Amino acid sequence: MTNTATGFLRGPYGVAAPALLAAAVTVLLDFALLAWAALLIGAAAAFIASLWLLPSGRPAEPAGMRVVVTASALASGLIAGLLTAAVLDLWLIEAVAYGIGALAGGAVGPLVHRRIPATLALAMVAVAAAVVLSLLVTAVLLTATGVDALFTFSQMLGYGVQPDSLVKVLNDGTTFYLSAVAVAIGFKMKLFNIGVDGQYRLAALLAAAVGGQWVLPPVVHQVVVIVVAVAVGGMWAGIAGYLKVTRGVSEVISTIMLNSIATGITAYLLHTDRLAVELGTNNIGTKPIPESGQVPGIPTGFMGANTEIYGLVFLAIAVGVGYWVLLNRTRFGFDLRATGMSATAALASGVNVKKMVVWSMVISGGVAGLVGVPQLLGYSHHYAQDFPAGLGFIGIGIALLGRNHPVGIALAALFWAFLNQSSQILDFQDPPIPKEIAVVTQATIVLTVVVVYEVVHRWGRRYEQQLVGAELGRAGVSA
Amino acid sequence: MSGTQTGRGAAPPAVELRGITKRFPGVVANHDIDIEVAAGTVHAIVGENGAGKSTLMKTLYGMHRPDEGTIAVNGARVDLNSPAAAIGHGIGMVHQHFMLADNLTVLENVVLGAEREHGIGAAARKRIRALSEQYGLGVDPDRLMEELGVGDRQRVEILKVLYRGANIVILDEPTAVLVPQEVEELFGNLRELKREGLTVIFISHKLDEVLGVADTITVIRRGTTVDTVAPADVTARELATLMVGGELPVPELSESTVTDEVMLRVEGLRVESADGRAAVDDLSLSIRRGEIVGIAGVEGNGQSELIEAIMGMRPAARGSLTLGGVDITAWETRRIREAGVGYVPEDRHRHGILLESPLWENRVLGHQTRRPSANGVWIDAAAAKADTRRIVDAYDVRTPGVDVLADALSGGNQQKLIVGREMSGEPRVLVAAHPTRGVDVGAQAAIWEHLRRARAQGLAVLLVSADLDELIGMSDSLHVILRGRLVAEADPATVTPERLGSAMTGAGLDEGTGEGTVESVEEGTGEGADQSDQPDRSDQPDRSDRPDPAAPDTPGTPDTGTQRPDDEDPA
Repeated sequence: MTNTATGFLRGPYGVAAPALLAAAVTVLLDFALLAWAALLIGAAAAFIASLWLLPSGRPAEPAGMRVVVTASALASGLIAGLLTAAVLDLWLIEAVAYGIGALAGGAVGPLVHRRIPATLALAMVAVAAAVVLSLLVTAVLLTATGVDALFTFSQMLGYGVQPDSLVKVLNDGTTFYLSAVAVAIGFKMKLFNIGVDGQYRLAALLAAAVGGQWVLPPVVHQVVVIVVAVAVGGMWAGIAGYLKVTRGVSEVISTIMLNSIATGITAYLLHTDRLAVELGTNNIGTKPIPESGQVPGIPTGFMGANTEIYGLVFLAIAVGVGYWVLLNRTRFGFDLRATGMSATAALASGVNVKKMVVWSMVISGGVAGLVGVPQLLGYSHHYAQDFPAGLGFIGIGIALLGRNHPVGIALAALFWAFLNQSSQILDFQDPPIPKEIAVVTQATIVLTVVVVYEVVHRWGRRYEQQLVGAELGRAGVSA
Repeated sequence: MSGTQTGRGAAPPAVELRGITKRFPGVVANHDIDIEVAAGTVHAIVGENGAGKSTLMKTLYGMHRPDEGTIAVNGARVDLNSPAAAIGHGIGMVHQHFMLADNLTVLENVVLGAEREHGIGAAARKRIRALSEQYGLGVDPDRLMEELGVGDRQRVEILKVLYRGANIVILDEPTAVLVPQEVEELFGNLRELKREGLTVIFISHKLDEVLGVADTITVIRRGTTVDTVAPADVTARELATLMVGGELPVPELSESTVTDEVMLRVEGLRVESADGRAAVDDLSLSIRRGEIVGIAGVEGNGQSELIEAIMGMRPAARGSLTLGGVDITAWETRRIREAGVGYVPEDRHRHGILLESPLWENRVLGHQTRRPSANGVWIDAAAAKADTRRIVDAYDVRTPGVDVLADALSGGNQQKLIVGREMSGEPRVLVAAHPTRGVDVGAQAAIWEHLRRARAQGLAVLLVSADLDELIGMSDSLHVILRGRLVAEADPATVTPERLGSAMTGAGLDEGTGEGTVESVEEGTGEGADQSDQPDRSDQPDRSDRPDPAAPDTPGTPDTGTQRPDDEDPA
């Protein structure tokens, strides 16, 4: 192969060729096999062919690391292909959808393989290992209690991918995501905001009360409700931040206490003498928000579901993007991360650490204030006693699982919601299978991810040190 | 002292290392090490930071296994695959950073993990008393650890090793944490150990100390043994040349570039520690454009507090700071930095670097608000990376790129990056604490050259250093700090390290009056030689659990708190 050809294949053609190959194989196999099987084979074949025939352009790596990188690249290609195909399948005919899916998968695999940093590949493998491990633990537990584990999983999977379930997963994932981002902002500063729970409940109650009080022009109305929720959440968390910098109170203690206080306050305010009204029999809640303040859902008829996706799913996406931009592109985010990594170094660099503590608590609380909003404006339109509680604690687990990364959190939130939703079917088995096994899976996965990730993180650091050592060793020899 | 050669024929050497090679992927940390340590001697191993001393000692203490070569203890070949195995063969190690629990007594600390030896009660106490008596350690088993000074703590560490039955004691840079008086006491202890027939392996890079206490000296350079000499046969200079494999660079300034324009003025400054005690008291000095002002002093006499007050990291209880005629006493750190004050901190891991961030983000640190790191409220990653590449080239930072984590670099290369960063953006004043600590000789010369060049362009430098040669060579004027006050002013052109050293302890101020090189500005306190009760010595690693007065609201637990500045190369 000449040099020009090598350069040529490292460029866009190195991606386009395997993508086309994958699509072709998939479309052909689609006549003989199930579409998803065809896609998997097609994308995998294209990936392997690209490994064989094209220059990878990766630096010299130990064999173990090459395996890790290859596996994570192949897996990302297959997953990307399947997801693309599954979504497109809702609109397009199967052969076309899966053809395009294979196109995407065939392109993503080699692309990831060429670009992915070794440490990220390690992290992906670590998370995958944790997922497999926790499923195994769950399976062992099921088998030990005399339940067929494979049957259970297949029931869950079958129910979880039904259209109505998927809508529910997306809606729950939206709230989980907001909650986890709120927690993650604290984590980035080494602050443990356990108080997301109290912050969002108080924020949702007051925002619902304000929203139900008046009729305002559309857009303005929703904005007012959201601003109130953010302000209340931020203020409530800010109390903990203020106590920390002025009195040295650990935010762990103060946010737990503030959770209890928030519970008391909401119970007090949710009374017909105060913010609540009768909502039919045996239920009281805030005055319903009029239509001008509601956010319409996204109809899901196209995918055969009967429920709507929260319109505010876009709010969650915006928060995720904002979180990433804030942390990685702004001076404020730099100061925040620096303080989290080393408060002393941040202080020496000119960061006002006290101010950062208060601000990050306020921002964390502000995002926490949003947790109840999609449900409030998109579904229930009032805050009643049956408003979901405990989302703040779920957020902690998801933030840990997603390693505080906006994309990682999103995947973790969806996965969590999927486990929640798919386990609902277990009650309807005969004999019923305890649906708490989903909780076992969630708990195991958080534990294993935290442990495995820490191990992988150390490996990664050592690996990088070795790379640097190797580089300098070579330099030393040549000098 | 050099009677070691005679006893060699009779008994087998206590430790014999032959052809030891230890590779880490991509680097050879040790190769072809040959050392023979005669029983009952103090054997010093000297080498620069990163020469491979620590790797070698870890091999000997069983913390990792060599790839090639053999180890023999008392003539018998052994396989040391863990510290427990090493202790089993009578090899004990006293680490540079103490591993003691403050809230336990000496007895409890000693028996911890060695409960099988003599239990945890009266028998153990008796054994500790006996050992302390035998080796003249003067350790009381019932004192609470937190009451003990650094010297006592080190003796407890030695006792711990002896209690476990070691007859070969490895000491890793034992003097790094001690003041000169404590060093003398330690050497007394070591001679006592030797008299009782124990073998001591002593790792250091301080040549005067090594010449004073060792019977035999082995020099390590670039991972291998280059020579073994008797202290009587070499001078410190020759030893240094062996260590670096060439001439040592000399810190010196060319003609004076000092101007009349005062850049930084400190007047009547008082800085208080957390308990209200004066760490810096009524201190005044001024630095002019193009001038390097050195501060000499035993660590813990207020240097850190002075620096942190200038940087706005600690409030001034009294007095004022003026930068180019503007009063900056009440300014925040960021504003002071923006006004053109660079800062090379004494503890780079605590104050200078984010270990888990890439190099280019470390370039941004401390320059978050200024170009090229930032553009408005945004971080300008592309420009910051480009500028990091400039620093990497100009300061010879050995790294494959600017995206690797700072953690992956050796301490010396981290330091070069910090110095390069702090010299960027045309600072008017540079506050430099130990700017060449832990860097190799070539880098040291380069950093000095950068300082000289910046000085010629009008930079005003406050230089705090423990390296007296550096202070004398690089300063235009030199102050001695003792207990937070400037007690003497020395003329760098004529003062010797010895005289400066004695001025630092508060003693011997009159000695200099004959030539007028060290001029006392204040009455010495007479008993100033006793430094061991200095309550705020910031370099005590065993006190790192103490809340840091500079950051009272440290959120969470800063994990960098235990890392020390004098780290060795990771590989």
